[in-house]
Amino acid sequence: MSTKPHIPQEDLALYAMQALTPEEQQAAQAHLDECAYCRAALLDAMTDVAAVGLSAEQKALPEGARQRLMARIANTPQAAAPAPRPVAVEPVREERTTGFGLGWLGWAAALAMLAVAAYLGYGNHQLQQQLSEDRGQIARLTASANRAEELTEALTSPAAKQVTLTETKRPDQPVGHATYLPAKGALIFVASNLRPVPENKTYELWLIPANGKAPMPAGLFRPDASGSASVVLPTLPQGVEAKAFGVTIEDAQGSATPTLPIVMAGQ
Amino acid sequence: MPHDLPNPNVEASRSSDRPTENMSAAGDMGLLTRIQSGDQEAMSALFDRYGTMVYSVALRVLKDAGEAEDVMQEIFVQVWKNPGAFVSGKGSLSGWLVVVARNRAIDMIRRRRSTEQVELFALPSSTNLAREAERNSLLGKIRGVMGSLPEEQRKSVELAFFEGLSHSEIAEKTGDPLGTVKTRIRLALTTIRKALTV
Repeated sequence: MSTKPHIPQEDLALYAMQALTPEEQQAAQAHLDECAYCRAALLDAMTDVAAVGLSAEQKALPEGARQRLMARIANTPQAAAPAPRPVAVEPVREERTTGFGLGWLGWAAALAMLAVAAYLGYGNHQLQQQLSEDRGQIARLTASANRAEELTEALTSPAAKQVTLTETKRPDQPVGHATYLPAKGALIFVASNLRPVPENKTYELWLIPANGKAPMPAGLFRPDASGSASVVLPTLPQGVEAKAFGVTIEDAQGSATPTLPIVMAGQ
Repeated sequence: MPHDLPNPNVEASRSSDRPTENMSAAGDMGLLTRIQSGDQEAMSALFDRYGTMVYSVALRVLKDAGEAEDVMQEIFVQVWKNPGAFVSGKGSLSGWLVVVARNRAIDMIRRRRSTEQVELFALPSSTNLAREAERNSLLGKIRGVMGSLPEEQRKSVELAFFEGLSHSEIAEKTGDPLGTVKTRIRLALTTIRKALTV
């Protein structure tokens, strides 16, 4: 989790266009390495930037351009497929290259390799396209089903630890309820009657391990207009028994360690 | 500098485009898969699909047909050399090609001036343009939005994208305060995003 402020939208757009100063670009890259929130926002910024490019008036290709390219293609051997990279590798981080050396050509070949494996043996182009569409749909449905299954298990498993969190000073006001399945590291937290927090602040949920280790951040949340909020399946390691759960108020980007006071707690 | 996005509903808000995007993305991936197996016809089809777009972006930046063709050729040759490098899960090939074309062209301009170089990194985008009708419709919409932007906003975002200027350089060039330039670019991009999500 990054403890620095998030990157403004306009800076993300400039980052995508590599129009920041080298120092700013480096700082943004460092932040993006640690901040999933800004990585997601970067995808939106890139979409916007691409849209600007598409506003360019479409010009006819120079005569013979297609033939020249295809002639070059015919004489250009294809590179061996690069080694797959972890999916988690941030796509905007590539080694600096020279000239037209394309660092982007090396990233994350795993999916393409899977696609190649799936397509090999199918000579018909229409079948290939249909297969690709079906596989994409299946992958999405599978991911959705897996998440739903995980959610259901966490909510219904007898092994799930049920903890009700209440505000420490006013126990009859804000209420939070955590459902936690240690074996899966699955946590669902629902709170109501929460008090608003300033724009630059956020609530942060903490898992206090039973083994006495440091509290683990378990998600940021802000109440909606009715004071309700939830944290669903935050990223947590599996197999961590919880002694208790707590909630603190942190700066908007969250914190790696809880800042006192603990405004809600339960065990 | 707190970030006031978040934009968690972007994907949902673009759901109206999803079916065609998925189909387009599947078509792109199908071509890339064939290219990976050495299919030159697939490479030709990919070029027919996106060659004009890539060339037009490069030409807009470089204002030189020969250099724009060089940029276009290099990009497609690299796609040919290693088509497996593009990962569909990270965005669309079309949006990626647009930004790569822009960055390569800006790189060429900067190399005219100095050794300064723009990195070419993977730039995913959820904008898919694989289908002709979809492409024409989207291009028309984008141009309409760009044309409707206030002059100062349009100029600022074009200076950033097509001229490769930073916020500070735009402020210096236009004589406007830095904060004003940032605001204009943010507003322009926000307007474009809204237009593409309705």
